[in-house]
Amino acid sequence: MNDWLSRFPARVAVGLVVPALLVLWWQSHSSPSLSTFAPPSSVGTALVDMLRSGDLARDTLATLQRAFTGLAIGTPLGVAVGIAMGIFKPLDRLLGPLLHALRQVPMIGWLPLMGLWFGVGEGTELIVISMSAFFPSMLNAHAGVAQVESRYLDVGGVLRFSTAQSIRYILLPAAMPLVLTGITQALAFAWISTIGTELLTGAGSGLGVSMAQAQMQQRLDVMLVVIGVTAALGFIINHLFRRVRKSALRWQPSVQ
Amino acid sequence: MASHAPHYGPRIFKHRLQAPRLPLGALIAPLVLLGAWQLACLTGLFPPQVLIPPSGVARALLDMAASGELQRHVGDSLHRLIIGFIIGALAGMAFGATMALSRLTEAALSPLFLTLWQVPVIAFVPVMVMFLGIDEPFKLAVVAIAAFFPMALATFDGIKGVPRNWFEVAKIYRLNVFQLIGRILLPATVPAVLTGLRVSLTRAWVVLIAAELLAADSGIGQMMEMGRQLFQIDVVLAGVVVIGLVGFMLDRGARWIEAHASRWRTA
Repeated sequence: MNDWLSRFPARVAVGLVVPALLVLWWQSHSSPSLSTFAPPSSVGTALVDMLRSGDLARDTLATLQRAFTGLAIGTPLGVAVGIAMGIFKPLDRLLGPLLHALRQVPMIGWLPLMGLWFGVGEGTELIVISMSAFFPSMLNAHAGVAQVESRYLDVGGVLRFSTAQSIRYILLPAAMPLVLTGITQALAFAWISTIGTELLTGAGSGLGVSMAQAQMQQRLDVMLVVIGVTAALGFIINHLFRRVRKSALRWQPSVQ
Repeated sequence: MASHAPHYGPRIFKHRLQAPRLPLGALIAPLVLLGAWQLACLTGLFPPQVLIPPSGVARALLDMAASGELQRHVGDSLHRLIIGFIIGALAGMAFGATMALSRLTEAALSPLFLTLWQVPVIAFVPVMVMFLGIDEPFKLAVVAIAAFFPMALATFDGIKGVPRNWFEVAKIYRLNVFQLIGRILLPATVPAVLTGLRVSLTRAWVVLIAAELLAADSGIGQMMEMGRQLFQIDVVLAGVVVIGLVGFMLDRGARWIEAHASRWRTA
């Protein structure tokens, strides 16, 4: 039963029914004169306008640059701290409680404090984005090192590995899957907090900034274009990194 | 396994063999840090406009608690969280269950759901401000949306994860739809749903803080935003402490429920 559903075109068609109904409802309730509830066709017009003026490209680049700068700061720091804490227990004892206490505060919650300290601008945004990339990287790297099976280390002991050799040949490779999981999470968190900080601080240019401006100008069409671009980019970044992760871990038979 | 560890292994891994340390020891590092923070402020390393000592944060918290201001803000935020969460979680469960009902509903609803799932909830905030204004309905809607997606996904996964032969058992016992839901579907999906509940509760809290920072007349986020605008570093720091504590307790509470509600599984 339901075999027709496993065929590709049928599945796509069924999947389009509900969105199509929503668009129809939207079309029937909107009017071109009302920018707060502009018709669906105006989203297409807005997209073309924003592409032509270069605004969309500029905002997208600014947001991507911000997100990846934050990632480039937060992720290596997080991985390094996590691995160091996993290897040297005293460091874990010293930093662990502090980091776990800081982690309880939602990243967005740091914005007012950072705004006070560093002013509402690029620096504050980057700090919050870096922090949101730092924590998942740190936690997963730490777990990856701490959860290495002790029999692997026993093998190293039998082979009379030095500490450096144990780290290089046992701990780091074994921690790799979780480190990469941490980076996957860091990508998602950094992306969300980039949009969030842009929206809340409204400084410079970026997708979140233009979303905030569209809200003030009551432009639903512009907002929907930006939301669409945000979602698409988030999806693409996540998908690309999944492939990177897969190929980086292809030596591991158990990882899918 | 650890007992087979040879004695000539690297020293740094010896901690794996040690007994768990005393809980008292876990307190030492945070206390040292708090002391260092206090000292750094008292010695004038940081001017009070930049960083106030922990005692200053505690005083701000006590002052605000004495005036009832703190309770009002926290109460307003929690009230929004609970009402919005109930709406969003129930809607999410209903949607997830519908999606899991048959292959037809799955094919019809999941593409739309998975597309919307890609959008960070915070990106919906401007749209909702436009349609709902910045009053209570907006904040409830933000919380509800944040709760909706993880709940829908968890419910869907939970129901999909029920083994096929359990349905066959239900057929043999001639259970009607309500019995099927009450005796098989609900108990079988409880663990997945509770995990979804925890995830969506903490996410809803984050998004609520963001919404309150952006536009609110009360609530913990608004308290911090006002503190920032008035350069009241003690209020902002107190807000950071409070949202951290509330977030921590929400997570712990949900974990506790998760652990206790699925106890029957091992029994």
